[in-house]
Amino acid sequence: MWGSRQSRVWLTLTAILALVAASSAGDVRAQGGGGLNVYNWNDYIDEATLHRFETETGIRVRYDVYDSNETLDAKLRAGRSGYDLVVPTASPFLALQVPAKLYQPLDRGKLKNYGNLDPEIMRRLAAYDPGNQHAVPWMWGTTGLGYNSAAIQKVMPDAPVHSLRMLFDPAVVAKFQRCGVVVLDSPTDVVPAALNFLGRDPDSHKKEDLDAATDALMKIRPFVRKWHSSEYINDLANGDACLAFGFSGDIKQAAKRAAEAHKDFRVIYSIPEEGSQIWIDSWVIPADAPNPAAAHRFLDFVLRPDVAALNSNFIGYANAVPASRPMIDPAVRDDPTIYPPDEVRRRFYTISAPDRTYERLRTRAWTRVATGH
Amino acid sequence: MTAGSRGFRFSVISAPMLWLAAFFLSPFVIVFAISLVAASDGQPPFASPLLMSNLTFDNYRLLVGDDLYAFAFGNSVRIAATSTVLCLLLGYPMAYAIVRAPQAMRNGLLLLVVLPFWTSFLIRVYAWMILLRPSGLINLALQGLGVIDQPLPLIANQFAVHLGIVYSYLPFMVLPIYAALERLDPALLEAAFDLGCRPWRAFWRVTVPLSAPGIIAGCLLVFIPAVGEFVIPDLLGGPDTPMIGRVLWTEFFSNRDWPAAAAVATALLVALVGPIVVFQILERRGAES
Amino acid sequence: MTQPLIRIEGVSKTFGDTAAVDGVSLEIGAGEFFALLGPSGCGKTTLLRLLAGLETPTAGRIVIDGVDMAAVPPWRRPVNTVFQSYALFPHMTVAGNIAFGLKQDGMARTEIKARVEEMLDLVQLRGYGGRKPNQLSGGQRQRVALARSLAKRPKALLLDEPLAALDRKLRDQMQVELAALQRRLGLAFIFVTHDQDEAMALASRIAVMRDGHIEQLGSPRAVYETPSSRFVADFLGRANVLGGRVAGRDGAFLLLEASGMTLRALAPVDVSPGSEAWLAVRPENVTFEDRGYANRMSGTVSAVAYVGGVSNFEVEVAGGMKLRATVSNRAGDASVHPPLGADVHVSWSAEAGVLLTR
Repeated sequence: MWGSRQSRVWLTLTAILALVAASSAGDVRAQGGGGLNVYNWNDYIDEATLHRFETETGIRVRYDVYDSNETLDAKLRAGRSGYDLVVPTASPFLALQVPAKLYQPLDRGKLKNYGNLDPEIMRRLAAYDPGNQHAVPWMWGTTGLGYNSAAIQKVMPDAPVHSLRMLFDPAVVAKFQRCGVVVLDSPTDVVPAALNFLGRDPDSHKKEDLDAATDALMKIRPFVRKWHSSEYINDLANGDACLAFGFSGDIKQAAKRAAEAHKDFRVIYSIPEEGSQIWIDSWVIPADAPNPAAAHRFLDFVLRPDVAALNSNFIGYANAVPASRPMIDPAVRDDPTIYPPDEVRRRFYTISAPDRTYERLRTRAWTRVATGH
Repeated sequence: MTAGSRGFRFSVISAPMLWLAAFFLSPFVIVFAISLVAASDGQPPFASPLLMSNLTFDNYRLLVGDDLYAFAFGNSVRIAATSTVLCLLLGYPMAYAIVRAPQAMRNGLLLLVVLPFWTSFLIRVYAWMILLRPSGLINLALQGLGVIDQPLPLIANQFAVHLGIVYSYLPFMVLPIYAALERLDPALLEAAFDLGCRPWRAFWRVTVPLSAPGIIAGCLLVFIPAVGEFVIPDLLGGPDTPMIGRVLWTEFFSNRDWPAAAAVATALLVALVGPIVVFQILERRGAES
Repeated sequence: MTQPLIRIEGVSKTFGDTAAVDGVSLEIGAGEFFALLGPSGCGKTTLLRLLAGLETPTAGRIVIDGVDMAAVPPWRRPVNTVFQSYALFPHMTVAGNIAFGLKQDGMARTEIKARVEEMLDLVQLRGYGGRKPNQLSGGQRQRVALARSLAKRPKALLLDEPLAALDRKLRDQMQVELAALQRRLGLAFIFVTHDQDEAMALASRIAVMRDGHIEQLGSPRAVYETPSSRFVADFLGRANVLGGRVAGRDGAFLLLEASGMTLRALAPVDVSPGSEAWLAVRPENVTFEDRGYANRMSGTVSAVAYVGGVSNFEVEVAGGMKLRATVSNRAGDASVHPPLGADVHVSWSAEAGVLLTR
């Protein structure tokens, strides 16, 4: 079989096809010329504002959604995604994507509302996007604890719900094993929190700190039911979990769902008093975007205070346009877990992008924690 | 070109060959090529495999160096094997019952076996989550009936993974066995009875050996995809038992190390397909002798 | 008189609304070569399967060697079957097939080996033990099926159309071998066939079946020469059948008014005058020559068929009926062979015709 002429033809054909495919990566789905292709998280925009943009500018918007940074990252790196606007999270994704030249710099001249942005947020963002050249912040929030008020009350009425001890103190978290503890499956968010709890620098890239954090995590490992980055929302909302460590936005959503389902418990989000990692989702324009001009018009649009307020009201997160505050729902504006007071904001920390070696170490340590192996 | 001519034959055979070349061999060649270079930051995040100077076996050294990969692969093989056996124990009687059913009912029964495929695979796995959760339907029902007062841990463990795999892959076991049993000449069983064989023994001496091709096909169709399963362990499984599909995902998404992921994929393919190829070569040699 | 080996008493088998076997009673002795003959759908195969135990009777009972087979499943009956398709186990060798039944009895390994060799010798397939069924020709497979069924030394061997799948030459050869085998073993062979030549060549007794019951039971000669009904007369040898009314008696013969003539025939049973009856006469007994036979008709030759040893003629007589006549083509024979279209007289002796009442 292998020697015949026919099979040699097939092998050659295969090789040719492989080379052709390898040299041209990515798919060509762009709606070039006159439209706008947006790729955003699910449930992350008020559709009404999209329609308003279309009416005001006449630009047709094609809107796709994704549910994880990893999906977006992989798509961008494969190249030619066909999108004009995407919304990565600052740390670690934006931080790694900018030096990889995946995005094009903004033309500030086209963004007359650029001055509406909160300088403090921009300062933090600059750590990931030097000179704020590429990114326009959309929404931001914190990473902290979500818990089922009724279940925690039943097991431990005086639980330290405002402290990382809820999760990282084995004596405390052991009590919640029965009613279910779920933790983000994300080393980039949980390892810094562990370091913070231990009093170390959350942004440390030293191996000894990583080992300490790993030890701390191994100590609480037996009490954690699941390590998952999206399931904890459902679990909290259903009452299948009583304690979770995750993103403020997600936990708020779980609270909303539990309320809508008329459950007999409340899901509460609390920012740990030891400090919290601030996450920032921002709009960026891919380097090969087919419609960069339309993208700039959209960015200018969402920087308007009224538009920013509408979206904050809809999604329930804090935006980066201070002028929108008066127009935001009191329920959102006055919630200290969405718009925290200054002393809480002072204890925020951000994480810088790791190098490949540290990243591999951290991922491996995380696998050891998650799987026990 | 007439129906029998060489040209006609060539073009008919070449259609599936072309398909295999384009959608199986080529992607594999690409993945293998990526596994031979180092990762980088950029678009795409790996060095170009077309330059000979970039080629390295470092990614494979990584697989050998950390026993996580062997451990995960071992888990995957073990879970897939157990699930395959369970599928066989469930699927064989099902296929047998369908063959024994009256002719008019058979097509209907086969349709029922295949019907789940009309729904999205992901939705069906999610359905199991809704059933197995602590606040899920099964626990609610059992608690409501007073059989238990605390919810049973039915999810986030190996039980749920096995359940998910068996449920999803059962039709792949039933259909080949059904095909093999249907071809069985009923006179053979009668001959066995006539020669003094009781029905139970006749089943083991005649029916099972003659349905062996169907059994083997069914087992392969379940085992091989089950080893690389990702979705079912991700949604239904717990953290204790890493499986190779998850490890590959982590390499690709968490480490952004496409070449390492490609190495895992290639190693997985060789580990699964290798024995089959060897088996086929031996079988061909046996038939020739 | 010794007990017959097999007694079938009033056995019926119904499938749904149809009775495949309807109240059949029969006795078969040990050592008989017995044939169940009939067209398809007459119930002969069902009857065989009832004997084997592969079907259970809806009524009646079957007794084999003095034991009522009512509660006895096929794997415990002292009879074995050779299936029409042979049903050899494709995943076993020839030796494995033959040994199969012996293994079920728990025979010792060495004994099995010896018996298998013995059987292979019996069917002249010595040395073929290691082959697989798909490596054998049709005739060889049939022998293996025989060997497999005989290995257990059953009291009777049941054969379902054993020679149907073989070509002419092979079939003739196998007929001879089967007869020899049966003589040698002295077992009862009960076989099912739709081929009357085969039945007559092999069997010592034939049961002609029709619609689930036995039309006639007797030796080949009896069934052929003195059929008891038109069906039997027609099924074996395509007799000429003329219908009419009984006119009276003349010594040993009865007179039949048929086709406007008075015919003489032998009458196995007494028949009252005026009742409906038929005369059956075999084509080989119809002659074109004038031999002074009592029964005589005139007509025209409407068909001639030369088939080698004999020639078959069709003569159209008064009333539109076609009589068949067979004339030998023996070399040097001076018999008359009239050409197509010729006006002829056909006649047969009074002894040659048989009167049938049904």
